Amino acid sequence: MKDDKKITSPLKRREFLRMCGTAIAGGSVIAAGSTLALKSKGAKGNVFWQIDPAKCTQCGRCETHCVLPVSAVKCIHANRVCGYCDLCGGYYISNVKDLNTAAENMMCPTGAITRQFVEDPYFEYTINEDLCNGCGKCVKGCSSFGNGSLYLQIKQDICVQCNECKIAQVCVSDAIQRVDFATAYKLKE
Amino acid sequence: MKKIFSTFVGFASVALAQAQNRFPKPDFESGYQYPDLEYAVPDETLWNVLDVTMLVALLVAATWAVMKKRKPMIWISLVSVLYFGFLREGCVCSVGSIQNVALAFVDGSYQMPWNVLAFFLLPIVFAFLFGRVFCAGVCPMGALQELVNVKNGRISKPVAMVLGLLPWLYLILTILYAVTRSRFLVCEFDPFIGIFRLGGDVELLVFGILLLIISVFTGRPFCRFLCPYGALLSLFSAVSWKKVEITKKKCINCDLCHNSCPVDAIRPPYANTDKEERREGVKRLLGYMLLMPLLMILGALLMRMSAEGLSRAHKDVRLYDMVVAYEALDAPETIPLEVEGFYMRNGTLDELTVVKDSIVAEYRTYGTWAGALMGMVLAIALIRFSVKRRRETYEIDNAACVACGRCFEYCPQNREIGKSDIEK
Repeated sequence: MKDDKKITSPLKRREFLRMCGTAIAGGSVIAAGSTLALKSKGAKGNVFWQIDPAKCTQCGRCETHCVLPVSAVKCIHANRVCGYCDLCGGYYISNVKDLNTAAENMMCPTGAITRQFVEDPYFEYTINEDLCNGCGKCVKGCSSFGNGSLYLQIKQDICVQCNECKIAQVCVSDAIQRVDFATAYKLKE
Repeated sequence: MKKIFSTFVGFASVALAQAQNRFPKPDFESGYQYPDLEYAVPDETLWNVLDVTMLVALLVAATWAVMKKRKPMIWISLVSVLYFGFLREGCVCSVGSIQNVALAFVDGSYQMPWNVLAFFLLPIVFAFLFGRVFCAGVCPMGALQELVNVKNGRISKPVAMVLGLLPWLYLILTILYAVTRSRFLVCEFDPFIGIFRLGGDVELLVFGILLLIISVFTGRPFCRFLCPYGALLSLFSAVSWKKVEITKKKCINCDLCHNSCPVDAIRPPYANTDKEERREGVKRLLGYMLLMPLLMILGALLMRMSAEGLSRAHKDVRLYDMVVAYEALDAPETIPLEVEGFYMRNGTLDELTVVKDSIVAEYRTYGTWAGALMGMVLAIALIRFSVKRRRETYEIDNAACVACGRCFEYCPQNREIGKSDIEK
């Protein structure tokens, strides 16, 4: 810049400052843009929320804290882990007296678990996803008395993938994590 | 909607070797086959591409409208509210993307999706090139307020200045909470998400509706006094390559545009008659500039001291408090769920103390920076308030201007002389 002794017009100074500002702003856009682009290059993005069944303690908050009216967390049944028991800890309440489907004997508050006789003494259990509200009562029963084949998981076709999961904020066991597409389902087998 | 495009991922996941196996695998004799269950992962790629395409298209349309002094902004606003707002239910949004970007900077394990990056960068690039055309009508929240706005009630200058500091503080706090992995403030307290999703937290819904009612009488209260992304964009629009202008021709100082601005961004001519000595003006400016480091240090100290309190926003720090409170009890009757969960995963207080201390330390470091920034924001506001600028014509304050283009049609210089005018 010319170093004139005379006071130059304030407009010119203003323009000069503006130009400096433009240069800084443009530079930072390019710098931040390229850094971020490099960072997210090839990244699939951790946009999916999943429960780690190994960590879940079935506190019951999945049922109440999801932003959806009925939680996106559902009970999933791993048949290959299941013992196909008649006296199922997830199906009947603990200390059940009669093994029948009377409501007072059932663990599931919404009647989402049904079972079918396979062969003596085995029963196949099925979860009706439309009825399940993710309360985790059956999961607690199954992991306490059975093989732990029932577990809670976030169903990706229902989950709206909030930028931050409301349940994760209150999860008592830190079981809900961001995962990418490849691990979008953490299943038990 | 998202169920339409589904990719099926079968039993591809990691085997979790923690089954208790109290009962052996049954030996079926009847030839029973295990049912094959498949779990669908929605393939969002198409939606993501569509979102970004819509963003670019609307940004280009808004830019064209601003440059050519045309008036399709109401249609752009309508499309944005319908598509980004009601159809896509307000997610992905540029305002929230600040947090993902901040998190990606500090957390190597967090992979930011490319569409979030696009939503963060594109509006900034456009703001740098053409002004805040994103705010004009592409952002569904701005568009919603724009659509209901009827009157441009004026808020007194000092009040507007103080309220205008809020977005900056909100921005700094948002980044602080994002980089410490505590919470996403913007997503948690988004006032319009309940309106777009037709339901949600009652408090936030009431807040959102209140904001909309206010924006009937004065333009865009959320954009001016809350939006952190708007604050970020104003940095770029203030020094943008092309500026939003009321008219390309010479201003005739008719004052017609002045009242049309919903965000009070048009500055009237100012003679600056109460002449003061140049030396005095320089002195005052230097005084404020010297005040800046002082305010920054003060802010940094204050935030550093309140790091412990601020860190309560983090889940693990709250858990620490709960466990300490629980273990202090002699004969606890009930155990809080959090504490129960903590013991169930065999957590010990010592481990938790280490975690808590590291979080508080993080808050101390980042909080110091945040406090210094807050001090700087305050000092710059003071400087801006004290600098008197001579203006000969009506000028747009490009940092505050949201490029809605309402002033264009009020300016008589923008009217092309039609045939009917000549015949008169």
